[in-house]
Parts: sequence; structure tokens; C-alpha cells
Amino acid sequence: MASVHESLYFNPMMTNGVVHANVFGIKDWVTPYKISVLALLYEMTTSKPIALQERRRLNKLILPLQQGPDLTLDQFLKTVEECCPQTAYAVKLRLHEMADGELKDMEYFFATLPTPFSAIDSEAYKTSVVGLFMRHMLLAYNKLSFSQVYKLYKALQQYYHSHYAQPGDVQVGLPTLAADDSDMDLTSTEDNVGERMEKEELDTAPLHESELSRGPLSQKQAEYFLARQAYLLKNDENKALKPSALQDELNNMLKFNPDFAEAHYLSYLNSMRVQDIFISTHSLLHYFDRLILSGSEGKSNGDEGYGRSLRYAALNLAALHCRFGHYQQADLALQEAIRIAQESNDHVCLQHCLSWLYTLEQMKGSDSSVLTEDSVKMAAHFCLPYLVSLGIQSLVQQGAVQGKTAHELMDALKDTDILHWKHSLSELIDISLAQTTSIWRMYGKSTMAQQQAQLLLNMNSLEQVNFGVQQNNTEAFAVALCHLAELHAEQGLYGAVSEVLKHLKEQFPPHTQHAKLWMLCDLKIQFDRAMNDGKYHLAEPHVTAIAALNKTEGLYRKAQVLKALNRTTEAYSILQRLQLYCEKTKYTEMIIRVMLVTAELHWESSGFATALPLLLQALALARQHHLQALASETILHLAFTQLMLGVPEQALGVLHEAMEPILAHGAVMDKGRALLLAARCQMAMAGTRSNGQRHAALGLAVQSLGEAAAYFSMLDCKERLRDVHYLQARLHHTLGQTPQRNKCAMLFRLLDQELQAPGKPLV
Amino acid sequence: LDWILNSLSSMQEPINVPGSGTGTGTLIFGDLVQIKKQLISVISLCKERGLVHSVKWASELAFSLDPLPKNELPPPTFFTEEDAQDLDALGLAKSYFDLKEYDRAAYFLRGCCSQKAYFLYMYSRYLSGEKKKDDETVDSLGPLEKGQVRNEALRELRVELSKKHSAGELDGFALYLYGVVLRKLDLLKEAVDVFVEATHALPLHWGAWLELCNLVTNIEMLKSLSLPDCWIRDFFVAHMYTELQMIKEALQKYQSLIEAGFSKSTYIMSQIAVAYHNIRDIDQALALFNELREQDPFRVENMDTFSNLLYVRSMKPELSYLAHNLVEIDKYRVETCCVIGNYYSLRSQHEKAALYFQRALKLNPRCLGAWTLMGHEYMEMKNTSAAIQAYRHAIEVNKRDYRAWYGLGQTYEILKMPFYCLYYYRKAHQLRPNDSRMLVALGESYEKLSQHVEAKKCYWRAYSVGDVERMALLKLAKLHEQLNESDDAAQCYIIYIQDIFSCGEQLEHAEVSTALRYLGQYYFKNKLYDEASLCAQRCCDYNDAREEGKALLRQISQVRDQTESSTTDLFGPLSSNNTPIRRVSPLDLSSFTP
Repeated sequence: MASVHESLYFNPMMTNGVVHANVFGIKDWVTPYKISVLALLYEMTTSKPIALQERRRLNKLILPLQQGPDLTLDQFLKTVEECCPQTAYAVKLRLHEMADGELKDMEYFFATLPTPFSAIDSEAYKTSVVGLFMRHMLLAYNKLSFSQVYKLYKALQQYYHSHYAQPGDVQVGLPTLAADDSDMDLTSTEDNVGERMEKEELDTAPLHESELSRGPLSQKQAEYFLARQAYLLKNDENKALKPSALQDELNNMLKFNPDFAEAHYLSYLNSMRVQDIFISTHSLLHYFDRLILSGSEGKSNGDEGYGRSLRYAALNLAALHCRFGHYQQADLALQEAIRIAQESNDHVCLQHCLSWLYTLEQMKGSDSSVLTEDSVKMAAHFCLPYLVSLGIQSLVQQGAVQGKTAHELMDALKDTDILHWKHSLSELIDISLAQTTSIWRMYGKSTMAQQQAQLLLNMNSLEQVNFGVQQNNTEAFAVALCHLAELHAEQGLYGAVSEVLKHLKEQFPPHTQHAKLWMLCDLKIQFDRAMNDGKYHLAEPHVTAIAALNKTEGLYRKAQVLKALNRTTEAYSILQRLQLYCEKTKYTEMIIRVMLVTAELHWESSGFATALPLLLQALALARQHHLQALASETILHLAFTQLMLGVPEQALGVLHEAMEPILAHGAVMDKGRALLLAARCQMAMAGTRSNGQRHAALGLAVQSLGEAAAYFSMLDCKERLRDVHYLQARLHHTLGQTPQRNKCAMLFRLLDQELQAPGKPLV
Repeated sequence: LDWILNSLSSMQEPINVPGSGTGTGTLIFGDLVQIKKQLISVISLCKERGLVHSVKWASELAFSLDPLPKNELPPPTFFTEEDAQDLDALGLAKSYFDLKEYDRAAYFLRGCCSQKAYFLYMYSRYLSGEKKKDDETVDSLGPLEKGQVRNEALRELRVELSKKHSAGELDGFALYLYGVVLRKLDLLKEAVDVFVEATHALPLHWGAWLELCNLVTNIEMLKSLSLPDCWIRDFFVAHMYTELQMIKEALQKYQSLIEAGFSKSTYIMSQIAVAYHNIRDIDQALALFNELREQDPFRVENMDTFSNLLYVRSMKPELSYLAHNLVEIDKYRVETCCVIGNYYSLRSQHEKAALYFQRALKLNPRCLGAWTLMGHEYMEMKNTSAAIQAYRHAIEVNKRDYRAWYGLGQTYEILKMPFYCLYYYRKAHQLRPNDSRMLVALGESYEKLSQHVEAKKCYWRAYSVGDVERMALLKLAKLHEQLNESDDAAQCYIIYIQDIFSCGEQLEHAEVSTALRYLGQYYFKNKLYDEASLCAQRCCDYNDAREEGKALLRQISQVRDQTESSTTDLFGPLSSNNTPIRRVSPLDLSSFTP
């Protein structure tokens, strides 16, 4: 007697200093809810044929019901009723028999369950999902002691009657215990609130998403919950529980079972979401402290022992610091991981370390292409496709910035794509597409970029859990959508832009990790619009916001605003600083843009000759890096400078070179500007010609101006429109076309009154 | 089965955790006779209600006071009409209660109306619920359900008691029970209020004070409580100070209690000893424990603390004697198991030690010290994963256990993960900001990571807060030496040597010789030959540095001969650079800033 007592009483359950999480080795146990599910399964396997439609619906229900948290009888019956009212009634009847009968009725029920070992033909065969569940339940039931069986029966009765207490009232599912004594609000409210919340959740969301539970979960249920939430955090954060709710749930789980280490890991992921370094470090270390233990069980030596989790613990710590931007800490942790991995010859771990190492170097802003190449080679050698293509993608990114030729990059991406499809690395496929979009856009090929973005957005997900769902909310999608928004903004389709942004806001709520992407994109678009409209006072506040998200971009925009406000000296000093900084970080695109703005500053002080070498330098740089959009813009600047220097023939010649790509790929604004400039060049040249030729040339100019006006009115860019109308009126006057002249003059006057400000330069 | 019974009986009274302390009240011990009378009467009151732990405490205190003459003894308590009515039922119920048949006791008390009967009625129901809860824990359906088991009686008790409470019908004991129920329901704020009320209604009931002491978490909270002005309050305050680690104040309080006439109380004596243990005044603590054992040889409480002290001092025979003695008294007590664990640990039989700590934990899973000690044992056995597990458990029981955090740090350090262990050492350091051991450990980790600036800071700080092991300076000096910062290194060695000699204790000499050797070379390089030869001579006192010392002396005399001869030279090349750039004399310490 004493020994039996002892073995049960000993708590914690320890052997060799190891506390076992699971006392009796049962992963699952019988609860009244599980009995209801069993009853449902029983009805489904034994009863008369159910209509095919209903059976299909019921079948789809089985897995969520088995894996989900315990539901109240109301919820359960409601769900079943939605699929098949007839079965729901049968289940209810069966439960009624048990609950209103005696203990023996329950015993009889378990005895009559189809034994998975005998029923070979039915769905309840021992290896099927249903069969496995039934076996678990039977095993758990058979292990119950006398008092436990009695307790279970009591619980079942209560479960059933709590449903019966308020048969009609679905909204307030109070348990009977609390319902019959209203004095005990304080202690019972908590439970009620939990339950009510669960209710609401259930009413609005589909069944498997009501993961907010109240009671303890069995180990199976807990595992399912964690796996699902972790998956959602990675792929579709919106569908996961809110950070605070998830943390509550995890704390609850850990309260009932502190040894459930995986919950700590999820807690780490969850606190990463809200950028809480304190809790995330704590949870991560706690998780590995626990894992080290479970890893050492049984297989204590070699690769699978706890040495392995030690290495990964250090590696994960490095990743954590990296994400929080603590590069020095990350470096130290990484070195540690590398050292331990080297000591134990763990090449796979070393590869992971290497890929983090080059990521870290990249984040620190130093050149890591050699490291990356090494990593790719080694990973290929050890057959780690994920790391290989991640490395290649990283190389492509670096190559694009450094001005590698397009075909090299595209070739590399194609190779990785083959790898992805071969190994179904759906995550990387997304990234690859988003990267292609970015590269095309960098090159200034808007059509190609748009096509790639659409390809990604319209692709069906290959993930098993979200199969068929078109969009996840991963970074790749955010990037593609941002590009799409900017592309539309360039074409002046602001309605579409706001729709894309609205979608982005829904998919990536402001607190989530990728939200910064669309915030920046949104601000940039608004800024550009305000600048185009000449509303500088509107643009100014955006500068601060942009600077908060991206310092370089913020400085650049600040210079632009200052230039527009004629605060030339300040603008110039900022641009100088920016250029130095960008040259150091090799941010070519920005260097070119800075040069262009500097050239514009020179114009203001009529230093057209000083602007020329700057522009030529910019052109060379843009061509070297294949940045077509920027090259075209530089040519526009160049042409204007030449026009101002009094060589319109040259200017027109240069302009023609850029006209084609601009009309094909450029933004509407650029198109208008190019045409306006062309018209001015034509006008300037016409001055030197003879009379007949002059008329023809001026006619051409009028035509160009008309087109430019169309583009500018598309953007509602009034200032430039006014200039165009002025020029048009002058030309019509010269050509003697009075009615047209009068019309243009009137348009000019209207706009001029509206603007009430001195004119600005024309390009 | 006796240890099970034991654990059940300890469950009888919901509170047996030591510790509390507060405020600064003046002692009102005008009349020890009066106090004794009060104690005697409260003992009988508690006894009638089955509050055994309070009876024990009061009796111990009463025993320490002089016996009263016969005519001074308090008269037996008078009976009210109600008491007389309930007398039989109460007697019957009390006998059932003593036999732990709580439901039965409650059944026979249900109609009674006297206060005493009411308390026993409610208390029986409470204990019945607790007992069932414990039984249930064994019988629960699975591990995850375990946390779910609760005392079902609590809610009903709370409802009934709160009704009576608002009607003002509760006496001191019933208030105490109400507080316990509230605490068990995690309604801590309400519980504090009720306990304060209980102490006002019945100041002499130590149980209520003790419960209060568990709920007070900081000194501000303690000051905010309005407590009854009674002599027992000083005991509470002293206890509270001990709990809040305000050892100095606690010792003062206990001293004044002793002076007031409680000098013979074993309770006070043990409390003082524990306080000394907490501030690591080992000699004082040992002396007190020895005295305590003389007066109360069969005492088991606090003996684990005593064994810790013996362990630290490596007093094997004494520890062995204590262990054997305690086993004879009661081998199934947590304290006994801890003592035996310490005993085996001192004898380097770590498996057995771990076994006994495990047993202690089986007796009481919330016994914090045992988890940490078990972690240490597993560390000794090189079973790092089990050690980590044990430390983690300790932290789960009490997040503020710095030894467990430190232990975790050490474990990872052994696993050669210096960066990883930083986090744990930092945690430990946060909890004990003035403990040099954590700082030295932190410094060592930083040094391994080549973070020299941080390492230097840590070592210097460790020295500043009073280095226990006297290693910080030496390490700092060596670090400076490595980094070729010879001036700083010399400074550190000088302070180190001064430190060692001034404390007078005989520590590891090997390191003194290292310091002397370095200093000798340093002075020699800076051409301070007098100081160098002094150091070299001192080197010769130590075996391992003797040869080098002699060699240095020879070198010095050689150089001296040369310089003497060269001074005769008119163009002596050495004369100009005879002044070192930055000379450090052994007594000049003011310039030292690491």
C-alpha cells in the first residue's frame, strides 16, 4: 500500500534528475467534450447512410474537432447541426441517455464503441485518423481509476446539464455552478468573461480559428495550438491571435504545465512581434534551457544530443540580437555558435551560422559578397537547398546594387527558381518574384516590374496549410504591393494607389513588422504629389515622417523642399553631406538623384556651365549601373542645360535619345516634361530658321505642347500647365491663330489667378 | 507512511512560512507578567480551535518567560450561554477534527451558534477542501489538469464569510480564516485588509501576522499598513525585516526584544542566527546555532541553514554529527534531507547528495533551496542538463533566486559559452548588485569575449563593492598586463598586495608571488632599483618565485655596478634617460583610476 501511495504522491516525477512533463505518459485524456466527439464519430460510423453533401461537411469537421480546444456542448451541437441536423440530434440523444441515466450507461457506451482493431472496412480502422483518436480515447478511459471514472461521469452530467439549463440562450453560456449563485461574481466573472469571449469569437470566425480557450488543453491540443499559431505568425500574422491574447493563452498554458517548452518559443516569437527584447530574450533562453534537457534524453551522444541544441541556442540568440539591431552582441553570439559547431563538426549548423554571418555583415553595411559566395558553395556541397538559394538571392541583391549586368542577375535568379520548384520552397519563390520586381523597377522598366508584381500577387500559395489562398502576408508580398502602388502613382492613377494602400493597411496593420514598408511608400507618394502640385507646405511635414523611417531618404527629401523654398545654401550643404554618405555606402541610385538636384540648384544661380560636368558624371554612373529611368532623367536635365546654354540643336539631339524610353517606361510627369522641353527646343530652333520652315517647326512645337498639356492635366499639375498654356498662346499668336490664342490665353489667365504666384523654371 | 502524515499535519494550518517585519514602533514591554498572561490565554484559545502552529509559537515564547506564581494564573475562560449549549457538539466535533475527519466534524457543528463553534465549523470545511484537493492532485486525469485542481470549498466559504464580514459578525479567528480563504483565491489586496483587521481584533494570534508577512512585498507596503499597537507587533516587524533582507534593522529589533526580557526565546535566537547567515557572518551564526542546539536539542527547524554554515566552513565532523542526530529525530523532514544532502556533498558523494535533495523536494516541491543545491550537485557530477533543469525549477519557484541564476551562468560557462552565460550572470548581478562574485564572473566572461573595457569595469567594480574572494584585483592586473598597460597593472598589483596583507588572513600565496615578481620586473624596467630589489627580496619568501627573485637581484646589482662605473664616464649615455616617464611608488595610490 505504502509503495503505491508513494509512487503516486511523489511530485515532481523525477528519474535521474529529469522531471518528466508527462506523468503517466498520456498525451490525451477523456473529457466530456471528447465523449461528445466520440458519440459523433460513433453515429457517423454506425448509423444509416447520411446524404453525401452532409457527410462531406461532417468529414471536414472531424479534424478541427479532434484537435481544437474543448467546446461547450452548445457550441459543439451548433457546429454539428450546421452540417447535419439529423446527426446532431442523434448525438444529443446519445449524450442524454448517458447523462440522465446511470454510470453504467457511460460504461456501456465505451464498451459499444467500434473497436478500431476489428472494424477493418470502416473509417474507424486502427490506422485512420478517426481510429487513432478512438484508440487514444479508449486507452485513456481504460486507464482511469475508480474515482476518476466517477469524476468523469459527474463532469459529463454537468456538461450536459449546463447546456440544458438555458437551452434557448446561446449568448450567455454560464456554467451551472456559477449560474445558481449570483453572489459569487468576483470569482466567477473571470470564467464567464473567458467563455463569452470564446463565444463571440466562435460566432464570427470559422471553427478552427476560435483558438481562445479557457480550460487546460491536453498535450495534443496544446501542440496543435502552438503549431498553428507559429505557422500563422510566420505566414499570415493577421490571422494569428493578437499579441496580448496570445501571450495570455501561453501564460495560461505554462501555468498548467511549466514544462511545456515549446510554449516558451512561441512566446519568444510573439514578443518579437511587439519588439519586446526583454521577454523575447527571456523566453528564448528559457526554451533552450528546457530543450537541452529533452534533447539529452535517450540519445545523449553525437549529433542529436544536447550539444546540438546548445549550438542552435547560441545561433538563435545571435538572430535575436540581429533583429533588434544589436550587431556587436549578435556578432559575439554568432562567434560562439560557430566555435561550438566547429568543435563538434556540425557542418549543417556551421552553414546556418555562415548565412547569418553574411547577413550580419550586410546589415552592418560592409561588403560580404565573398562570404556569401563561400556560403553558397558550401551549402550546395552539403545539399542544403534553402541556404543555397537564400545565398544566391542575397548575392543577386548585392550584385544589383553594385551594377552587375542584368543578364547575370536574371540567370542567377532563374537558377534559384529551378531549385525552388524542385524542392517546393514556396517561401523563396515569393521572395524571388519580389526581387525580380525590384530589380526591374530599379532598371526603370516599369512594365516588366508590373508584370512580375502581378505574377506574384496572382499566384496560388503552395503552403500546405494555406493551400489555395492567394496571398500571405509575408515581406515579399508587402514589397510587391508597394512597388505596385508606386508604379500606379507614377502613372497618375491615384485612385488605384489609394486602393492598393488600403489593402496594404489591412494586410499589414501598423504594428506588424512589415508595416514600415508601406508607410514609407505611402509617404513618398504623398510627398511627390504635394511637390508636383507646388504645395510645399504640405510636403514639409512628410519629410519628418520619412526621415523617421529612412534617414537617407528623409535627407534627400528635405533638400528637395529647401530647394523649392529657395533656401539654396541649406539645401546645398545637405546635398553635399548626403552625397558623401551615399558614396561611402555605395547607394548609387541616391548618388545620381543627389547630383541631379545639385545640378538644379546650379541652374537657380544660372550656373548652367557648372551643372554640365555634374550631369555628365551622373549620366555615366546611371549608364554603368543600367539605371534607365535615372539615365533618361539625367538626359532631360542635360538637354535643358544645353538649351539654356544656347545650343538648342544639341539639346534636341540629346533629348531624342531619351524620348523613346521615357514614353515607353517613364512616369507621366517625365513624359510631360520631356515633351515640354522638346517644344521649347523646337521653338528656340525655329527662331533661327527661315519663315516657311519656321511655321512648320512652330506647328510641331504646338503639337508637342498639346501632348505635354494632356500629360500635365492628367496629374493636375497646374503650375506646369500654366506655363504650357502661356507658351501655346504665344505660339498661336505668332502663327496668327487668334481663336486658339484667345482660348489658351484665357486658360492661362484662369490658372494664373488660381495660383497667384511667380512662375517657376520649366523643367 | 509517517512523512505523509507529517505533510498532512503541516497542511492543517495554512500558514507556516517564517518571515515578516516592519515599522519603527517603540517597545511596550512594561509588564512581562502581563505578556505571559496574555500568552497563556491565547494558547488555550488557539488550542480549542485547532490552530496548532500558533499554539506552538505562543507556547515557545511563553516558555521562555518566567513561570507565574499560582495566584497570578489567569482564570479558566468563562462560558456564555451559547458556549454551554454547544459544548457537547463542540467536544464531539473537536475530537473528529483532531482525527482529521473534517466533514464529520463540520456536520455535527452545522447548527451551532457560538463563535468558537462557528470558527471550527468553517475551518473544518476549509481543511476538508484542502485535503480533498491534495487527494485529487494524485488522482487527476493528466499533468495539464493538475494546475486546475482547486479547493472547491473556497468559493462557498468566501460567500458565507463575506456576508458575515459585512455584517460585522466575525471575531479575530474567523477574520483570519476569511483572510486565508481570500489569499487562496488570489484576492491578495482584500486578504491584506482582512488580515490587518484580524490583527486588530486579536493581536496575539501569531498566525494572522505570519500570513500578513507573506503578503507584504516591500518596505513601502509595510509602512502603509496600520497595525495594532501591541508588543507582538515588534516580533512581526523584526520578522518582516529579515524577510525583506534588511538584516541590520532586523538584528537591531531582535536585540531590543532580547533586552526587553525574551532572552531565552529559541525563536528569537534562531531568527538572529538566520539573519547572520544571510549576511554571511558565519562565526556569529555558528555560535548561535550551537547554543540553540544546546537549549533545544531535538529541534529540526532551521537546521538546514545550520548545515549550510557548516558546509561553507567544511566542518565535516560537526556536519556528520548533526546529520546523524537529525535522522534519529525525524528522517522524513525537508530539513533533515537537506542536511544529509549537504553532508554527502561535503564528502564528495554527489549522487547520494542529489538523491537526498530530491527527497527533500518530494516532501516539499516548493522548497527553493533544495532545487538550487541539487543543481550544484549535478554540476559536480558534470550532468549539465540536469543541473540546468534544477536551476530552472528554482527560478520558477522564486524568480529572485540569484544563486540559481548564477548557477545557470556557471553551467553555460562550463559548456564554453561565455556570451550565452552573460545573460544569466547579468540577471544574478541585478538581484545582488553588490555581490563581487557575480561581478567577477561577468568580468571573466567579458574577458573571454575580448571585451576588455567591460571586463575592466566589472573587475574594478567587484573590488569596489568589497571583493570576497580577493580575485578581482589580481584578474584586473593580469588583464592590464596582457594589454601591455604596465602602469595600470603595477597599480593593481600594489593594491592587491596591500589588500592581502592588510586583511591578515592567510590566502593563496602563489598569487602574491606573481604580483611581487611582476612589480620587481616593472620597477627594474623603470630603473627604480631600490623598489625593485625590495620586491625581489620579498619574492624570495615564496618557493615558486625564489629563483626569479634571486635572478632579479643579481641583475639589479649588475646594472648598479655598471651605472656606478658609467657615472665616472663623462658622456654616460644612461644619465639622461634615468627618469621614468611615469613612476609609481608603492605608496602612491591616488592616481590610480582604471
